[in-house]
Amino acid sequence: MKIKFLFPYKCKKIGWLISVPTFIFMLVQMNTDFTFGFLNYQASSTTKISGDHEFLFNLQSHNFTADLTGLLLIGSLLLLAFSKEKYEDERILKIRLESLVWAVYVNSVLLMLAIIFFYDMLFLNVMVYNICTTLILFIARFNLVMFFDRRNAKMENL
Amino acid sequence: MTNTIRIERAILNITQAELAEKVNVSRQTINAMESNKYVPSTTLALKIARVFQKRIEDIFTLEDTD
Repeated sequence: MKIKFLFPYKCKKIGWLISVPTFIFMLVQMNTDFTFGFLNYQASSTTKISGDHEFLFNLQSHNFTADLTGLLLIGSLLLLAFSKEKYEDERILKIRLESLVWAVYVNSVLLMLAIIFFYDMLFLNVMVYNICTTLILFIARFNLVMFFDRRNAKMENL
Repeated sequence: MTNTIRIERAILNITQAELAEKVNVSRQTINAMESNKYVPSTTLALKIARVFQKRIEDIFTLEDTD
């Protein structure tokens, strides 16, 4: 059976190694506003005074710590979420699909609750976390199901 | 859908892991099929029938609820 759109098994380990520290760093960074000095950018000429500084190509000054953290986190979570299992087969694909559907539902419900209950800065914060919550919910559910699956199979054969 | 994989496996005297290797799936998948928790694809069902050298209908049986 040909399996589409999945990374090789070894990418899972790389995903864990990068995503866990990056996630912890993101939490610290968001709560303390810590930034790396060398990621500071200041436009050489600020003569062009315009209200529109919102695109990469007309930025006047910016620190890219949070942006790089976000890119690294999404990339590593994708590796972790969508790597093949050691023994990949059709039933694992089914568990993966079910977990993905579950994660999208749960994330959407949480988002709806956030829209109803949270406003202003708190809502914006939730939206930042929402960048990676679907993937994290999926990873948590899929790995939990796989864990209980392996344990049940082992226990039934004792 | 019910199946007789566990019985056929006993006749051939092979473990879940050995059958899993022959049909190229994880051992947990064989276990899930034997406990009727998973219905295999046509391809996998045919592969299993080939290992036991039987017709697919001799191993897999539809139930009323299917």
